[in-house]
Amino acid sequence: MAEIVIEVKNLYVDFFVQNQAVNSFKDLVMSLGLKSPFQRKSILKGVDLEIKKGECFALMGKNGSGKSTLLRTLAGIITPTSGEMIVNGRIAPMLSIGAGLELELSGYDNIKIIATLMGMNNSEIKTATAFVETFSELSKEDLKMQVKRYSAGMIARLGFSISVAQTPDILIVDEALSVGDIGFQEKCAQRINEIKKSGCSIIYVSHSLTELKRICTHGACLVDGKIAMVAEIDKVAAYYESLFHQHA
Amino acid sequence: MISINKFKNFPNLVLTIAVKNIKMKYKNSALGFVWSLLHPLAYLLIFILVFSNAFAGVERYSLFALIGLVFWTFFNSSINQMLQAIIANASVLKTIAIPKLLFPFSALIAELITFLLSLIPFFGLMFFFGLQLSVELLWLVPAVIIFAFFTFGVGLLLCTLNVFFRDIGLLWNTLSPAIFYFTPIAYSSSLIPEKYLTILQFNPLLHYINLMREILYNNATPSLHLWAVTTGIAVSCTVIGLLVYNRLKNNFVSFY
Repeated sequence: MAEIVIEVKNLYVDFFVQNQAVNSFKDLVMSLGLKSPFQRKSILKGVDLEIKKGECFALMGKNGSGKSTLLRTLAGIITPTSGEMIVNGRIAPMLSIGAGLELELSGYDNIKIIATLMGMNNSEIKTATAFVETFSELSKEDLKMQVKRYSAGMIARLGFSISVAQTPDILIVDEALSVGDIGFQEKCAQRINEIKKSGCSIIYVSHSLTELKRICTHGACLVDGKIAMVAEIDKVAAYYESLFHQHA
Repeated sequence: MISINKFKNFPNLVLTIAVKNIKMKYKNSALGFVWSLLHPLAYLLIFILVFSNAFAGVERYSLFALIGLVFWTFFNSSINQMLQAIIANASVLKTIAIPKLLFPFSALIAELITFLLSLIPFFGLMFFFGLQLSVELLWLVPAVIIFAFFTFGVGLLLCTLNVFFRDIGLLWNTLSPAIFYFTPIAYSSSLIPEKYLTILQFNPLLHYINLMREILYNNATPSLHLWAVTTGIAVSCTVIGLLVYNRLKNNFVSFY
């Protein structure tokens, strides 16, 4: 039996949102404090999930079904309301490319800041910087320049390179691969393969079924905050597609 | 676990973010750091021009006003920076698992570094205005630490609430000039009529400004009472700030 790296049992995540019935300060005062300005909205409603070591796992689901919330919860960004969650290993979340890039600062400054935020120490930051220099194909002059003078593609290259600089135990990818030009996209796919071969588990969210089928072996489909199906990738993909044709 | 790993790194994280904040604040400005000196100096000039006759009873008025201004500037700009700290870093907080406290705390540290650097030229100016050297000046070290804790508590509370109600930031912009005049910065609290003095006591800043003036202006050892009041307020504010932050931090995510 393969080792389990992520085990989730009966996971619930609620969000605190503005109460739609209380739209203005007037409403709040008029209700004499009886109506709370906030209410709870449940996003994940009892998710069970197991991911094995070295597995490449696809996560599918319609917009708003809770995919990103689940990924953020696994990455430790969102605290679950209830349920059990065991994560064995270091997670590298790749949730959006270029988050945290400070446009006014240089590429080098940004590598240092983001690497520090990701929890690297000084020697790891040095290695990561060298990796970004070669992988991103941005020249030293580019990296010394303020990021606001970069093109969108260059920003994506910088952001992606930083996030894959280290080989984690678990990689979480949220539709991040459609960045850069064709050459860079191929490079990204190669790097993901490399990370996969190193024995790392990958959780992959994408709406592109061909991409999912190419990379993943198993998958799950989220429907309205619950896991509707866990199976081999082809079965899940077929189920996911059927969701859109039911009422057609 | 990941979280433990991150906490070991916390001092390093704070320093990196604080240095980034300082860089960002003065980026693309020709005068850079000098701006943090110009703001209190502009007010000082106005005070000297307008009030030095009115408050002729206050000896060495320039020194008296400068002490108040220097500490007010630290307080005001720290609160301004902390208020936005979590909202401004929403994109990072949504993608990387780090303690959210990092950002308001680093904002304070950045302001503290700027403040300590600004003390170098300000001390020169204070000597020019009649500051006397004495051992008692060393009390400034604990006084600044206590004041920083007070600022942290207030800033963290406002920063947390500002995530849910952006009114807090707007309210602060409206109120801070009023608080400035409600605090004896340009004037001495001895000028306040006896019957209103009780109300003024409720302004925590009054006690901190008094503390700083005891040390820098009177060259005295502050009374035990003054230490107790200022430390008490600082501890309560920090505890309240942390309690409210801890209670609400898990609900930030849908409000960024």
